[in-house]
Amino acid sequence: MGSVSRRGLLAAGAGLLAACGSNTGRGGGSSGSGLVQWYHQYGEAGTEQAVRRYAAAFTKARVSVQWRPGNYDQQTAAALLTDSGPDVFEVDGPTLDQIQGGQVLDLSALVEGVKGDFNPAVLGPKTYRGRVYGIPQVIDTQMLYYRKSLLREAGVEPPVSLDALLDAARALTRGTVKGLFLGNDGGAGVLGGTPLYAAGLRLVTEDGGVGFDEPAAARTLGKLHRLYADKSLLLGAPSDWADPSAFLQGLTAMQWSGLWALPRVREELGDDFGVLPFPGDGVGGRPSVPVGAYGAAVSARSRHKEVAKEYVKWLWVERTDLQQDFALDYGFHIPARVSLARRARRLRTGPAADAVRFATEHGHAQPLLWTPAAQTAYQDALSRIIQGGASPEREVRGVVRKVSEELARVTRKR
Amino acid sequence: MRRTRALWFWVFVGPFALGLALFTYVPLLWSVALGFFDAHNTVTPTHFVGLGNYAAVLRDDAFVGSLETFVVFTAFIVPATYVFSLSLALMVNRVRRARAFFRSVFFLPAACSYVVAALIWKMSIFNGVRSGLANTVLGWFGGEPVAWLAGTDPPWYWLVVVTVRLWLQAGFYMILFLAGLQRIDPVLYEAAAVDGARPGWTVLRHITLPQLRATSVAVVLLLVVNAFQAFDEFYNLLSDARGYPPYARPPLVYLYYTALGQGQNLGLGSAGAVILALVVAVVTVAQARWLGLGRREGDG
Amino acid sequence: MGDGPVRVGRALRLVLLIALALLFLIPFWLLVRNGLAADRDITSAEWSLLPRQVRWSNVREVFGDSSVPFARSLLNSALIAVATTLGTLLLASLAGYGLARIPYRHANKVFYGILGTLLVPAAVTFVPSFVLVSSLGWVSTLRGLIVPTLFSAFACFVFRQYFLGFPRELEDAAQIDGLGYWRTYWLVVVPNARPVFAAVGTIVFLGAWNSFLWPLVIGQDQSAWTVQVVLSSYTTAQVVRLHELFVAAAVSILPLLLVFLCFQRWIVAGVERSGID
Repeated sequence: MGSVSRRGLLAAGAGLLAACGSNTGRGGGSSGSGLVQWYHQYGEAGTEQAVRRYAAAFTKARVSVQWRPGNYDQQTAAALLTDSGPDVFEVDGPTLDQIQGGQVLDLSALVEGVKGDFNPAVLGPKTYRGRVYGIPQVIDTQMLYYRKSLLREAGVEPPVSLDALLDAARALTRGTVKGLFLGNDGGAGVLGGTPLYAAGLRLVTEDGGVGFDEPAAARTLGKLHRLYADKSLLLGAPSDWADPSAFLQGLTAMQWSGLWALPRVREELGDDFGVLPFPGDGVGGRPSVPVGAYGAAVSARSRHKEVAKEYVKWLWVERTDLQQDFALDYGFHIPARVSLARRARRLRTGPAADAVRFATEHGHAQPLLWTPAAQTAYQDALSRIIQGGASPEREVRGVVRKVSEELARVTRKR
Repeated sequence: MRRTRALWFWVFVGPFALGLALFTYVPLLWSVALGFFDAHNTVTPTHFVGLGNYAAVLRDDAFVGSLETFVVFTAFIVPATYVFSLSLALMVNRVRRARAFFRSVFFLPAACSYVVAALIWKMSIFNGVRSGLANTVLGWFGGEPVAWLAGTDPPWYWLVVVTVRLWLQAGFYMILFLAGLQRIDPVLYEAAAVDGARPGWTVLRHITLPQLRATSVAVVLLLVVNAFQAFDEFYNLLSDARGYPPYARPPLVYLYYTALGQGQNLGLGSAGAVILALVVAVVTVAQARWLGLGRREGDG
Repeated sequence: MGDGPVRVGRALRLVLLIALALLFLIPFWLLVRNGLAADRDITSAEWSLLPRQVRWSNVREVFGDSSVPFARSLLNSALIAVATTLGTLLLASLAGYGLARIPYRHANKVFYGILGTLLVPAAVTFVPSFVLVSSLGWVSTLRGLIVPTLFSAFACFVFRQYFLGFPRELEDAAQIDGLGYWRTYWLVVVPNARPVFAAVGTIVFLGAWNSFLWPLVIGQDQSAWTVQVVLSSYTTAQVVRLHELFVAAAVSILPLLLVFLCFQRWIVAGVERSGID
């Protein structure tokens, strides 16, 4: 054995020993002196560095940022059951069960005085009985991207009703190009409640009842199966709806995707694309796009509750400069603060401006009462309707029953 | 003497038993207890509901459906893996040249994780567009591209799920069969040849298979238990950020979404898990009795 | 009965075997092809056997990316897999030997208590296990990643079956020489049981290297990420970093393939002489 490799082995051995001896540099969770903050993994370059920079700029406590890959909801849910979870974390919620279970702190005091500046559509689902449990960070929305040149060639107008969308998708399906891409599962996952809102319905009514116990629901959802049955949908693309690759590579003429895809689409297609909301259907129908916001929440198990709250207030309420940086300089999101959104220059022209308008005029957020169990039941039914060709009436009846049970459960509590 | 032996027994078995008690039995009993409580987002629930969760999970057609999925999956995968890995073993055993090479090639996939295998299957072999390997082959024969994972009629997803598992596991079971084949006394084959039995089917049926009985029993048992525990390939092939389709959803995937995701209905999940474990136990014990596990070659 | 049909049959078998072997190698080929291609080629509309342009730079890219601790994660995985394997072999073989060879009134009860846990899917006990381990303060520590996974009922079962069939003569001789259970085990049994150690060790090593959910949830700190966690990090909320994912996946299975090729003969021997059946 030559001396080089022996030295290499020694170094490796020393590394292993060092790794054995220390734990990984940090005791469990919030037991240390500083705060621990969790983010889910954003795909846009620079975001991670940015949030670490913000954390470092907070002077009252040391904040260590954890950047979590994989299924984020599952990790936060498990971590919140223990003392080794985060102090501050972003969450696609908090969910009603997290609030009712006392897992997250009441943050109402933090937004005192500026509550009106937060977009009400996304603040609403973070509010339970008048108390705010999560501070919206940025607004995300989705919309329909279409390729202007392909529509022109096929002699198709940008569709403004669901029926027109069906016709357009069929007309645009030619050879290897499909008309529409709603995700690899045919739309059940990404569309969620959007078609119901487009039919003039809602997921949950103001007084906590089922919002789609109407014939219109079955009618509209049934049309989604037509898209599938017509073979107008792109299915099984190598990348899913959240990624514009299928659209950009010409596998589809129209694709449902997120606002975050806009910079890449513009870079590759220039002016050859436009955006639309999900078109309305029927007499009471109106266009619709989903809006949602990750919110900053504080864990009830944090050992530094007050500092954690101060930090959240500092970052997500006071430092509007950082909020603007976070929303617009890496990915492409709408600031959660109305005042910031209005000032953002990048959101004032072209498709970006359209997207902001859709979100403001047609945006619907998933209501707090719409629990994961309700969502699963609904999504299963939608999938059976679209892919399985199941009877929409029967499926809707089944979902209505399950969702009413679930609503009864959560409104009974406390 | 008996004392000392007991002491030595625990010296050998104690550390393992202690660890198993702490890291398996404690969570297991805890889990069973959760099944009797309304445990949304908590592992220290206070609201006792008796058998409420059991009633609820049995009423949930998604759970019952997942058990059906398991039955269908088992009906596919157990005979397919059995026949395929046995055939591989028979061929590899008889081949004269490069036996080690073939054995390695068939065994190598066992080193791959389900995550990596599912990635290749989903993105490069069974994607729904023309660039997928399966669709390319179809195209040579003039077929239209098929969205393998995205439709229920016909349920092509079974082809994807079964082939990925076959690729990953066949080699391992082939090794088990090869070991069994090595143990068969060559005298038996010579005697058969003297009796005029033609090599091939007759010999396989009357000598090889009966001699492989113990191996077969073990293989079938392992296959069934593994089918129950199936999770990884289903999850990695079919789930996306928004959830999981209502078809091809085996019990563990159902439990995962009920209890581990944001659903966090730990009471319901635990009740489902207990039912599942009971079903596995009953099936395994029944199967072991029926197939006569424990009898070794020659005893039977 | 001529020689002809036999020879034809043999040739057919060889052809079939070669075809199957090629089929079995295709996924590995695709992994490498995608890993060395540009994203555009991976998702392109046309099938291709080779990437349009072979990009070895992809390999450099995954190792050089400062935001993803790829090299560190390989080290973590190796460390965890080796420690888990050694620990499991020690604990399970001792227990297996005790169960097989030391007469004790309740030995059967203990054995069935161990065997029974095989029927319980790990996912069932996942949340309570996590809460337990975190209440020990083991989150983000190597202890937490390794210790709870050391008690494999499967390994214990295989060892017990193997030792049941182990020739007693050797041990009897040792007993006559005045060696107790402990020294008999170390001086006589272990040296003669290498195949089963190799077989079980390989299976445990594979499982440890490929495990995902436990390291993901326990190894919260980035410095504790394993290679499987890093792989999952290439799939972000918005985009999948395709070529990085594939090239990292290819690199991540290399150590396993090596372990496998080296130990294959032992595995076969171990299986042959163990009580897996």
